[in-house]
Amino acid sequence: MDRNGRTRYAPPRVCIAVLLFGICTAFARSADFELPPLNSPPSTETHPGKMLWADLVTPDLAAAERFYGGLFGWTFQSVRGGRYDYALALLDGRPVAGLLQKPIASGENRQPAWLTFLAASDVDSVKRLAVAHGAKVLADTKLYPMRGRQCVLSDPEGAVFALLASSSGDSPDYLAVTGEWIWSSLHAKDAGAEAAFYQNLFGYDVFDLPSDDGLEHLILSTDNYARASANDLARGSARRHSHWLNFVRVENAAASTAKVLALGGRVLVEPRMDRHGGMVAVVADPAGAPIGLMEWSDSDTKEEPK
Amino acid sequence: MNIKASRLLASGLGAMLSMLLYACAVTGVEGSVGYDAGYYEPYGYDYGDWGLGYRVGPSRCCERRDEHRDDRRDDHGGDRGRGGHAPAYRPAPAGRPAPSIPGRSRRH
Repeated sequence: MDRNGRTRYAPPRVCIAVLLFGICTAFARSADFELPPLNSPPSTETHPGKMLWADLVTPDLAAAERFYGGLFGWTFQSVRGGRYDYALALLDGRPVAGLLQKPIASGENRQPAWLTFLAASDVDSVKRLAVAHGAKVLADTKLYPMRGRQCVLSDPEGAVFALLASSSGDSPDYLAVTGEWIWSSLHAKDAGAEAAFYQNLFGYDVFDLPSDDGLEHLILSTDNYARASANDLARGSARRHSHWLNFVRVENAAASTAKVLALGGRVLVEPRMDRHGGMVAVVADPAGAPIGLMEWSDSDTKEEPK
Repeated sequence: MNIKASRLLASGLGAMLSMLLYACAVTGVEGSVGYDAGYYEPYGYDYGDWGLGYRVGPSRCCERRDEHRDDRRDDHGGDRGRGGHAPAYRPAPAGRPAPSIPGRSRRH
């Protein structure tokens, strides 16, 4: 009440408390979700078109952790991810992958999958170039301060991939150890056209290697290192859509596929000899996300002078 | 409007504003950090028949491309692609062997 006898409005304490709580909660929630850097210490290297990272989207994070932990020896660190739970997969303390739990809407016939992140120095310019060549933007550019700038696209045939400009530089070119990503392959209706698309984005050198199945198998390279392959989809596949498939290095593909079955996964392609003289296999985790397994013998690797 | 009603209204508005701020933070409005890289793909991975020639991996260092496929070389030494047609991509020079993956071991 003032001197004139009027009642002065004073904001109720409860209102201020609720408002402050809301603001604090909102900012705290924002600050919680921080993806760690890819490289610690940071790298000064840049390798456009190199596969830097992969995120799994799955409806059951706990089941995925059990599977990948049992198969590759990964350990997991929980990261609060806004609407969804996110776990960082670590190998010997180094981040190797991310696992995102997201429900599949009822009635939606969708497939859990690994999302492939390719290095780009300037995400926005590569994104514009991609769109100009027929790509679609699925998630626009976003900055995660320690991780970097990233966006998610689908290529002209619909294969989903992401661009990442890593805040800590691109991962140096080392031979993957067991349990790390060693290779990526693109499976497409027209591997040649898809290779041309990605060549426009990353300046890949494209090599057509001999094959005796009448299908196109191309190697995409930068910095005189093979980065990925682009392959026509295999014959006899009833459901055909273009996609990226990433391979983790294993000691023994046959032993790993046996472990996959024991862990509740499936074998999609039995272990078979590939052109490098080692075995490869394709398996699916318990939720159905495909992943490749690849043997690679250290002794056979020769370092080509750059 | 009496004081009680004013306070009730102000409390309601405060709560609504709080909920709005919270919603913005977790749903990925520009400036927030909700993670939005999760994309499910079309259902079904039937890998079909990976015949013996279906090779998807890298080669060992410096695998030469097929020298017997001269019918596929274009005038610049590049590869003409399948069926003798010029490929959609720009092929690496024909004499250049395909590189392999990095062979250096990580320093510990």
